[in-house]
Amino acid sequence: MSSTEQGTSSAAPAEPTTAPESAAAPEVPESFYYVHGKDKVVHKVSAGALQHSALIHGMISNLGYTEEQAKANPFPFENIDGDILQMVVDWCNQHKGKPTPPEDTNLPKQKEKLFDLVLAVNYLEIKELLTYCCKQVAMMVKGKSPEEIREIWMIPTDAEDEAAEKEAKKRAGKEAAGETAAAAGDAK
Amino acid sequence: MAPKMKKFKKSSKNPIYDTNWCDMPPEIKVKCIGKMEFKERLLLRCTAKAERSLVDSQKIEFQNGEFWADDEDIVFKLNRGKNSNFLKSPKNINVAVGFLKYIKKVGVFENLKLCFGDLFTDNEQFNTDDGLFAAKKVEIEQCEMDNVVPSILWEIEDGVESIKINVDRKVFRQFDELLEISNMWIETNAKVGFTFQASIYKEGSFAAFLEHFTDSIVSKDERRVRIRTKNPDIHILLERGLDEIVETDDIPQFSRLRVIPAEMKKSEYDNNCKEWISIMDPDVYESESESEEEWPEYFGISFDEDEDGDDFDPVDYYTL
Repeated sequence: MSSTEQGTSSAAPAEPTTAPESAAAPEVPESFYYVHGKDKVVHKVSAGALQHSALIHGMISNLGYTEEQAKANPFPFENIDGDILQMVVDWCNQHKGKPTPPEDTNLPKQKEKLFDLVLAVNYLEIKELLTYCCKQVAMMVKGKSPEEIREIWMIPTDAEDEAAEKEAKKRAGKEAAGETAAAAGDAK
Repeated sequence: MAPKMKKFKKSSKNPIYDTNWCDMPPEIKVKCIGKMEFKERLLLRCTAKAERSLVDSQKIEFQNGEFWADDEDIVFKLNRGKNSNFLKSPKNINVAVGFLKYIKKVGVFENLKLCFGDLFTDNEQFNTDDGLFAAKKVEIEQCEMDNVVPSILWEIEDGVESIKINVDRKVFRQFDELLEISNMWIETNAKVGFTFQASIYKEGSFAAFLEHFTDSIVSKDERRVRIRTKNPDIHILLERGLDEIVETDDIPQFSRLRVIPAEMKKSEYDNNCKEWISIMDPDVYESESESEEEWPEYFGISFDEDEDGDDFDPVDYYTL
């Protein structure tokens, strides 16, 4: 299992104080957690960055892991491709502790990845990133005709949909008949 | 272990991407549709039945909507803010009615202006449609009064903040508006803040009001009559716009009806009638001051000036 260090160590925001610098409270070390996707590549991410994900944030809050325990138990997201998880981690790091801008220019330029990113972000419950992604998806069809939209998004026509439905029913019927026949054969 | 994300069925064609629109769960599709402009939504709903029903399930907010028609043209203008305009000129009345029906289903307007002339006077489909316009401010202008205006009024969703109707005085004079509105407010238990203003070209309205509500009068003087309603918490106040410029013998007379809390004291009355008279007829005080004043917003009411700019244009402002 390989590992990439994605997190950056940064101090927790100190309370405003009028005391001299030398008397400031010692910096609290930031805690890190580990996540991996389908490719098993482990990403080290700070708790601050992970706060964007309501799902992971909830998991962290419930577990109360120590640094060692966190390292030994990376969160597995087997349903998310490694490159997509990398994008998500990058975004969380870039926007750690910052107010999210109204427009995000760092979304994937490869449109074929966008839908995978949308699914991952939706699953990880990263609200702001999901909003940006959805906007990006909406932009894909700007100025396109219905036929072009259908082509870009692979939307089946109603006729194709009906044909596929019929085919599925037919297949299900055949399978059911096959199972009945097999069961009858077994009974004999 | 994290649960598997649900994958939806793929198209029968060779996919361009591994994951595409059809793999998105409906809640994500709906979010994406929410980010689309009106035109893109209309185009998407043409692609397939499933997409159409998703698009149609989503409301869309418009800053302004203007539906305008005369004998020759029908023009619908929709605006969602900067750089987001939608213009449609329906080919015929049926297309127009169909589009309006759709707009009622999905549109939520900040400002909605309807100028239909007599286009829909005999159109059963329009006059019997049970869809509702959702809008904060509605302005009805140059619409046929007998069928179209009542139809529109019935087709406005609850929650509207103001309705302005510009009607020809010849039509408007048929109404004894002060009595009609007061009775309506009493029957419907209108909320405090409801206001109706009118410039009145016939004599005796104030006296007729006094006579009609004789048994309900709480107080009266030359400028005001206050009556009680069925609700002990609210009163209705009729005010005549009288000051050093507008006098009792002038035509038109200006009146304002307001629903007020029953506990309102006389000292709390608004003695500045110039402000609200100017809204109805800016020319009244023009000689006094050439400077253009900003029109105040009233709770429940807003007004515009007469755009024709004709001093003698017989236009009254009829506001519910």
